[in-house]
Amino acid sequence: MQHLANVSELRAQAGEAAIEVERLSHTYAGANGSVPALVDISLTVRKGRFVVIVGPSGCGKTSLLMMLAGLRHQTDGTILCHGQPISKPDPERVGVIFQEASLFPWLTTLDNIEFPLSLRGTAREERRRRSQAMLSLVGLEGFGERYPHELSGGMKQRVSIARGLVQDPPVLLMDEPFAALDEQTRMTMGHELLRIWSTTRKTVLFITHSLTEAVYLADEVLVMSARPGRIIDHIEVPLPRPRTYEMMATDVFGRLRDRIWQQIRKTA
Amino acid sequence: MRRPDPAAVRWMILATLLILWEVVPLTGVLPELFLPSLSKTLTVLYIDRQIYFEALLVTLYEVALSMLIACGLGILIGAVVGGFAMLRDLLLPVFSSLYAVPIVILYPVFTAWFGIGSSSKIAFAGIYGFFPVMLSTAAGIRTIDPQFLLAARSMGATLPQQIIRVIIPASLPTVFAGLRLGGALTIIGVVVSEMLTSSAGIGYLVTLNRTILDSPRVFAAILAILVLSIAYYMLARALESRMVVWQSAGRRQQSSSRGEPVAIPTPAAA
Repeated sequence: MQHLANVSELRAQAGEAAIEVERLSHTYAGANGSVPALVDISLTVRKGRFVVIVGPSGCGKTSLLMMLAGLRHQTDGTILCHGQPISKPDPERVGVIFQEASLFPWLTTLDNIEFPLSLRGTAREERRRRSQAMLSLVGLEGFGERYPHELSGGMKQRVSIARGLVQDPPVLLMDEPFAALDEQTRMTMGHELLRIWSTTRKTVLFITHSLTEAVYLADEVLVMSARPGRIIDHIEVPLPRPRTYEMMATDVFGRLRDRIWQQIRKTA
Repeated sequence: MRRPDPAAVRWMILATLLILWEVVPLTGVLPELFLPSLSKTLTVLYIDRQIYFEALLVTLYEVALSMLIACGLGILIGAVVGGFAMLRDLLLPVFSSLYAVPIVILYPVFTAWFGIGSSSKIAFAGIYGFFPVMLSTAAGIRTIDPQFLLAARSMGATLPQQIIRVIIPASLPTVFAGLRLGGALTIIGVVVSEMLTSSAGIGYLVTLNRTILDSPRVFAAILAILVLSIAYYMLARALESRMVVWQSAGRRQQSSSRGEPVAIPTPAAA
């Protein structure tokens, strides 16, 4: 009893959990028997936190995110989102933001943002009102009638973010959203994302393979090993918010980035 | 030097051809049997307008029905074959190799089955046009970016919603390319089969007048077929660019290297 009381006290101190993953494992059925992809993953993302998972290519971090989004089923273990298990996509609880390629080229910017609302039959005026609000949140007023091919990579990614936010889910999952962008746009978009996050206060789980991006964005960084993926380090980022570009030149930033790199290198 | 306007170039080529058609036979370089002059062809066409009009109606009727068969069956079977991996692996190679067969060798069989009236032309041209429609529909569905479906599912799209809201619009450009080609093939199919064995239609007029060496009337029929296929092509393109706005817009933007740049305001922070 004593022990349980302590645990709940700790929980209360630490803030409520938005995502809880317990002893999750995943195995693929390959041609030469089964291939372990994820091994014994346990993690907790507290409400309102910005958590980044960083790991080498092919470590299974995207698979993990697919499972959190309810798009794929794990072989073992449980996933809870706000205390409820995840078994299928639930866009009102979890929004997913993919790479830019996932915008529908046959829809205008506004229609793309409204897409999840139109799936649930939200009235047209309500849809327009909310998508317009999202459009200005991501700084794209006046681009509502454009088609994706008329937008730059960074602008497309803003639209993706707007689409992920339009149903106002408390949790956002982001799968290497800026991977296809050039370095400069990527920096700008990271900064923009932090600005949007600070006004919406969502819980964010962000996947990347960029060490700099991880440290710059995160409250906490989870480091994954090469395949089979497991979590090998959990780093708190003590840098104050709002983050600035100058912080990248500080010792703290460099040490954190270096620590992640050493961890990843060891398992590669 | 400024690059000439492509539309102007097209019209100039057309005008040159028409002028040559009129002038070359007049010079006597070619005998009239080989190439009657444009004015003579048009005159004949005017005199026999009733005959040509009725023949054109027969041809149009056959083309319309065979297009219906080609497009309807092509889209239906293409969607089923493209949508299910097992059918795709099983049937796509079969259909692809059938497409390479010159189906016109089967036309005698069609006349045996359906007679020499319109039905044999419709059946033959329908099957002739079916293959490109079916193959491109299957390809259009097979090549949809899986990211689109993943994104739609993550936003809570049900299977019917995925089909209507994602699969259909995403495969539309490829399907339309197939429809354009398939439609053109049905016109060819109808005209060729009319030329082979029939008693009506524009193709029949070509064969009939050729056997009696009446060149102006042969060329009048050829002219009618040309106009028909060009009209079809323009109609198909217009329909396509209306239905697939985003694609044609992309094409337009890529080709707009000349002229004024597209004015896109940039947001402050991008």
